[in-house]
Amino acid sequence: MPLCVLEDVKKTYRIGEDEVEVLKGINLQVERGEFIAIMGPSGSGKTTLMNIIGCLDIPSSGRYILADKEVTHLSDDELSVLRNEHIGFVFQNFYLLPYATVLENVLLPTLYMEHSKNGLARKRAREILELVGLSDRAKFKPNQLSGGQQQRVAIARALINNPDLILADEPTGQLDSKTAGEIMDLLAKMNEQGKTVAVITHDAGTAAYARKTLRIRDGLIVD
Amino acid sequence: MRRIYLNLMIAIRSLYSFKLRTGLAVLGVFLGTFSLILVSNLSASLTRKGEMEIEKLGRDLLVVRSGTIRRFGGASRLLSEATTLTMADAAAIAEGAPSVLDVSPSSHRTFPVRYERNVLASILVTGVTSNYPNLRNFHVKEGSFFTVQDDEGLSRVAVLGRKVAEKLFGDSDPLGRNILIWRVPCRVVGVMEEKGVDLSNVDQDNQIFVPVNTFLRRFVNKNYISTIYVQSAGSASTSAAKRQIESILRERHSIRQGKRDDFTVIDAKDVAALKSQATSMITILGRVAAGISFLIGAIGILSIMILIVNERRLEIGIRRAVGSRSRDIITQFLVESSFISLMGGAVGVLLGFLVTVVVFKVSRLPFTISPEGFIISFVASVGTGVLAGIYPSRKAMSIQPVDIIRS
Repeated sequence: MPLCVLEDVKKTYRIGEDEVEVLKGINLQVERGEFIAIMGPSGSGKTTLMNIIGCLDIPSSGRYILADKEVTHLSDDELSVLRNEHIGFVFQNFYLLPYATVLENVLLPTLYMEHSKNGLARKRAREILELVGLSDRAKFKPNQLSGGQQQRVAIARALINNPDLILADEPTGQLDSKTAGEIMDLLAKMNEQGKTVAVITHDAGTAAYARKTLRIRDGLIVD
Repeated sequence: MRRIYLNLMIAIRSLYSFKLRTGLAVLGVFLGTFSLILVSNLSASLTRKGEMEIEKLGRDLLVVRSGTIRRFGGASRLLSEATTLTMADAAAIAEGAPSVLDVSPSSHRTFPVRYERNVLASILVTGVTSNYPNLRNFHVKEGSFFTVQDDEGLSRVAVLGRKVAEKLFGDSDPLGRNILIWRVPCRVVGVMEEKGVDLSNVDQDNQIFVPVNTFLRRFVNKNYISTIYVQSAGSASTSAAKRQIESILRERHSIRQGKRDDFTVIDAKDVAALKSQATSMITILGRVAAGISFLIGAIGILSIMILIVNERRLEIGIRRAVGSRSRDIITQFLVESSFISLMGGAVGVLLGFLVTVVVFKVSRLPFTISPEGFIISFVASVGTGVLAGIYPSRKAMSIQPVDIIRS
């Protein structure tokens, strides 16, 4: 069974009187251990697709199965638990808490884990910071770090709960090309270590790191 | 626990950017706990003081006053003085009332007092019997009190109150000296211990005691007295003693049924009860003020929490994305608002405590700490925080990660 299965997923938004169909029937499978890129121009529906894959939103129709669980009809809080257990997010704007330290930011998802022990969580956070090359920055605040370093913190936060899927939304959008390369190398390294990685981007250079690229246009997968 | 701690650490740092507004928000809670602590400590102290005054007055003591007494506010006024209360009445009470252990008839008037060149223009001179110190629980410090023989023999002896002794003699020893009270020379045989002001606001240290018969014959030349101090046989029998005294005196003074007494029997407990009524008024008013302060505090915290939730929409979105459930968000903001409230409460308790210590020192009240004040303060602070946090945290809960991320 693949990690993610989307069957004829449609998503409609209501804007005033009008109904806008953003996703028009997506069929998609992501196998465990894959590194895929989803490419498309802005307005193509790739952000909506990412929200659905990331369990931030549910489809209007169709089915979505993540790690053998039917997501389609889950409640808000059930989605939260699912995100916490299965998905690590990396965002374009990093989205770190500005008044929390690097270590606290990395620990944030563990606050919502069912069974998490403080000492263990801290030990693991330090190991992951070592892995992303920031072990000497644990006590820093995000605004004391460069963009590339902040994105590494975000990747560390995405890894802390040992998720099945790392979902990166334009992870290099705010970075220069050299730093972007470093971040993509890091994601590739995570993939080599067995993590499933999905990158949503409009940048071909970024997509090139993936082993498989899907293109989305006007709410449909085109190849 | 760890979650609360980590969340609080993060919250404190985010609150740090609203120092002034947070400070203003907790002002109400601060004032609330401050007045709670102050009022409950003060009223506990006043109650304690009342008890101490009853003890000072003498336990199980009844006071029979000639004439009728009316009260205006806290102070008692003698409306009329009758000329009917006599030494014989006192003797009749001692013999006729089974619930009475002992009596001490007494009368007083102010006189000029002189020692050598030192003149005090008006000093309260009180004629009492030799058992007075025991009845009033008010004893001689130096020398001795006068005896039954002194009283019967109309001896010209005097026992000075502490302050009178100081005013007349300064540092030198008054014992054995002769002072002139009005026109009567008296030998000082004793000096009383320090007693302070009694329940009827008479300074016990600023008077001179002379034998009551000496007083009546040599000073005022009258047959009637103003006061009889009565000791009942234990606190259980004070009301019985009061009834017995009243019936004896009514009969002796030939007061017919339906006519008013020409005397008043005062129970030490009556006086104390009246004072504690005043104390409980203070307590009630203080609590009302505290309640209003807490209400203002709640509104302050409500507004700062709404501000905080708006400022931290992104944080809430991020937290939701990484797995916090809506109830985690509610808990987080409720904990934050009660924490803010508790901070104000803690400062209020601390300052309230310090101020009560100062007030106790300045007004010489007994040092009393009311534990219930602290408990109420704590509960009210947390309660205010939780109540004020409900609306903002529900607002926070409604924030969806998809609305925040990418917008």
